[in-house]
Amino acid sequence: MLDLPSTHLATTSDLPQWAVVLACVLGAASFLMLLVEMRRRERGGALIAITGLLALVALLTAVLRPVKIAARESVVGARVVVLGDTSRSMALKSDDAKTRREVRDLAIAAVAKQASNARLVVLGFGDGAPVPLDSSATTRDPDATARTPRSDLAAALRALAATADERPAAIVVVSDGRLDDPPEEASEDSLRALTESLRLPIHTIATTRDAPADASIRRVAAAGAAVAHVPMALRVEIGCAGGLACNELTVTAKELREEGPPAVLASGLAHVKDGKAVVDLTVTLERAGPRILDIAITPPSGDTIPENDRRFVTFNVARERVRVLHVAGRPTNDTRALRQWLKSDASVDVVAFFILRTPSDTPGASQDDLALIPFPVDELFSEHLPSFDAVVLQDFDAQPYGLERHLPALAKYVETGGGLIMVGGPNSFVAGGYAGTPLARVLPVALDGSPGATAADTGAFAPAYNEQGRAAPLLSPLRALLGDELPSMPGANVLGDVRPGGVVLWTHPTRTTKSGAKMPVLAVGDEGNGRAIALGVDGGWLLQFSALGARTAGRGHGALWDGLLGWLMRDPRFEPAQMEIVGGCTAGLASTLRVRLLPATPETKAETIKLDVMRIDEQGEKPVHVERPRPTDATEIDVPLPPLAAGGYAARLRIGTGPATRRDFACEVGGDEWADSRPDGDRLRAIAKATGGTFAWASDGATLPLPKPTVVSAERHVMPIAPPWTWALIAALAVGVHWVARRRSGLA
Amino acid sequence: MGYEDSVRRLLVPAMAFAVVAALLVFAPNPARAFGDIGAFDPRVLLTGAQTSAARATAPGRWSWELIQRTSAPARLRPSTVRADDAAITDGPFVYWSGEAAVAPLTSSEVAGLRRFFALGGVMLVDDAAPQDDGAPGAFGRSARAQLARVLPSAAPISIAADNVVFRTFYLLRRAEGRIAGPKTLDAIVRGGAVEVIFSSHDLGGALARGATGVWEMPVVPGGDAQRERAIRLAVNVAMYVLCSNYKDDQVHAPFLMRRRALNPIP
Repeated sequence: MLDLPSTHLATTSDLPQWAVVLACVLGAASFLMLLVEMRRRERGGALIAITGLLALVALLTAVLRPVKIAARESVVGARVVVLGDTSRSMALKSDDAKTRREVRDLAIAAVAKQASNARLVVLGFGDGAPVPLDSSATTRDPDATARTPRSDLAAALRALAATADERPAAIVVVSDGRLDDPPEEASEDSLRALTESLRLPIHTIATTRDAPADASIRRVAAAGAAVAHVPMALRVEIGCAGGLACNELTVTAKELREEGPPAVLASGLAHVKDGKAVVDLTVTLERAGPRILDIAITPPSGDTIPENDRRFVTFNVARERVRVLHVAGRPTNDTRALRQWLKSDASVDVVAFFILRTPSDTPGASQDDLALIPFPVDELFSEHLPSFDAVVLQDFDAQPYGLERHLPALAKYVETGGGLIMVGGPNSFVAGGYAGTPLARVLPVALDGSPGATAADTGAFAPAYNEQGRAAPLLSPLRALLGDELPSMPGANVLGDVRPGGVVLWTHPTRTTKSGAKMPVLAVGDEGNGRAIALGVDGGWLLQFSALGARTAGRGHGALWDGLLGWLMRDPRFEPAQMEIVGGCTAGLASTLRVRLLPATPETKAETIKLDVMRIDEQGEKPVHVERPRPTDATEIDVPLPPLAAGGYAARLRIGTGPATRRDFACEVGGDEWADSRPDGDRLRAIAKATGGTFAWASDGATLPLPKPTVVSAERHVMPIAPPWTWALIAALAVGVHWVARRRSGLA
Repeated sequence: MGYEDSVRRLLVPAMAFAVVAALLVFAPNPARAFGDIGAFDPRVLLTGAQTSAARATAPGRWSWELIQRTSAPARLRPSTVRADDAAITDGPFVYWSGEAAVAPLTSSEVAGLRRFFALGGVMLVDDAAPQDDGAPGAFGRSARAQLARVLPSAAPISIAADNVVFRTFYLLRRAEGRIAGPKTLDAIVRGGAVEVIFSSHDLGGALARGATGVWEMPVVPGGDAQRERAIRLAVNVAMYVLCSNYKDDQVHAPFLMRRRALNPIP
């Protein structure tokens, strides 16, 4: 804003503007009539003209009565908002050696120079509302202002329109044109609608003209949601620009796996035509939950941006149906109740094998008269095991049926993400020969494998909830029905102390473990990527058939198993915490992991939160470990993560000594912003045209038609040059002199 | 026979004894009574003036046969329960048998049985005195009438060899009991699950066996072979109670179809 003193003449303020104009017009007309009249004069033409002109001026002055105005005036520059693109694509190279971000900053500086009278507000747009663009930040970190994962111009304009700040007089957008919104195919009407509420032109400056030599994966789209065990169609769009010679490119889709190298799920050949190619791949993800796919192309030589030859795509794989292998050592009421519950749930696909006859049984019939089939233990626990989401071993003795030799595979199945529930009975846990086996390693409780170990306690008892049990989300459906009440059990399998990573939910009221702790009856835990549950009783069916069961119409049994299987399948309802990466993860940059916790109870307030972030696709890389006390008054905390390299990661959050909650995520160098490296000047040109603005290339240094400043008077003094009677007297004298001159010249 | 042979003769049994002793000492102690709670219990249902099953020894024998033939545990001393007792909902199975017509169920008996069925319970109605032509006798007719009050929306249908009850353990071609009776059973089926099985074959009569080990009732006309088939039907009913429709699972289909093809049902 400029503050200037000024003095100038004006007409008296009591005259309306039209009167001033009318007086001037009449004066001019009179002078013209005088000139016409002079044709009839006899002599003295010059005298008549001079005196006539003087008389007219004197008359006009007498009407207008000029005043002198002394004022202090301010020149207020128009508010011009410059929106600089801060997305990741601005870190790519521009036409010359500079980056697009550098060209953007130069263009903004040029606009600022041109609009020296304007009030320039420089903001950065990317994801959501624009924020002040601090160019000085680039002195510390060159790409500090080119990091947002999106370039959403529409959101920035909406935010500007919604703000209570002074409305800008013009908007200047400086970008490479590769915007998320408005999209490439936006119509003119939709572009015009960008400034519908602001009603002002958008001037655009394009930083970059030419596309770099680059082959990339521009887009990966899945047809529908990812469902475990169900083939999923992936459409991979390939781009090739900048004069790069691309004919055929190989595309591969791999799944990142912790237990080994990435598994190739599909591959295809992309035939590039007019710089584009589309490849349809079909992949089948066997495990539910977040899964990371590595989609990559084999780039041609001369590719200048290798970072976008590979994309990490995280799929949240849902379960259309939970596939459960239910193996029971003998048919009992407990077997029946569990089977009926599993079969009643349409979302559960049960494969069941019950041992109906032992070698000592004498059915008294030939094999052809029996409806018995061989127990395909080898086939189930080797070939088909990975296809199951969970395995239920109910009162099953491992030894007689050859399961012993498959226990290492079953343990590995759990460690690599499978779910296991061991249900009690006289042939389960210690009595089933599981102590000291690899499977015992993945159970949440220790099993006593010493000679003479007691396998079961046959005393009747009612399991009791401990504090963790009362707070556990997985038991909340059951507690909602029954409170703390549980049916009396006829006995329990003897279980040892809870193992690291496990948590006890029900305990035996009297029996203790070697350490003196109350003996676990129900415990849950995780090992590796999988989860396991130990239920050391075979009376779960009493939640259905008993006085207690009758009171709740038998719903208690279903409520218990809904929680157990749901927890095993990582159903969010039963997780102690939820995690998300705020704004995604960009390789090499710090990111934030947001953790949402269940409200703390008095017992869980003192717990510690431990977070481990481990690389999925690179074994041996040091994990990121964060440990902090659980907040007592907040259920949401942000955990800053250090810069991570490009790849897949698993974040495991453990609260206290309980099981871990897992969240998989991927970090990419460029992400979506680098997927299509071509600049899009045409889109900027279209935006300017649709909104009435001007388009310019940054390299041309073109001048933008920015709005003029507004002049505001701060102080004003009006002084008449002479009193009105003076002007009237002068006018009378001048008219008189002119009258004398006319008479002497022979005019009337 | 030399000294070495004598030593060898003594050594072998001694080592065997040592192995057995070691197994007894070091093997995990078996869980004795633990697990019995979920065993098959052919609970005798009593209504009105009934005081016992029509064939009092039949339920115990039923359990014994189940234990001998299958891996399923069963209670050798089955319990009894009255229809209006709160304990009616303590187990998933009741066995209702009789020779004479039963008295109309009281409202509390009807309510008790409704609670039992609401939880998913299964009932076997065994007519101990069917008519000569295999039609239900007085008990069978009255039991059906009373159960129609308990489950008014469901009517009995005939179930034959294609029903899962006929293949839960044995592959059976027809139903038989103390009398040959009809080839089929009647059943109330709701939601694909058999809730009530009506037998007009005096199944208990074929199972009843006295303390002296003598079968209490003659089986006609097939004698011991028919008794064996009746016992197999009882075992199948018990296995249906414990496994429900397990044998309907797809994994069993090819095996059972092959065996059915070898032994076609006449």
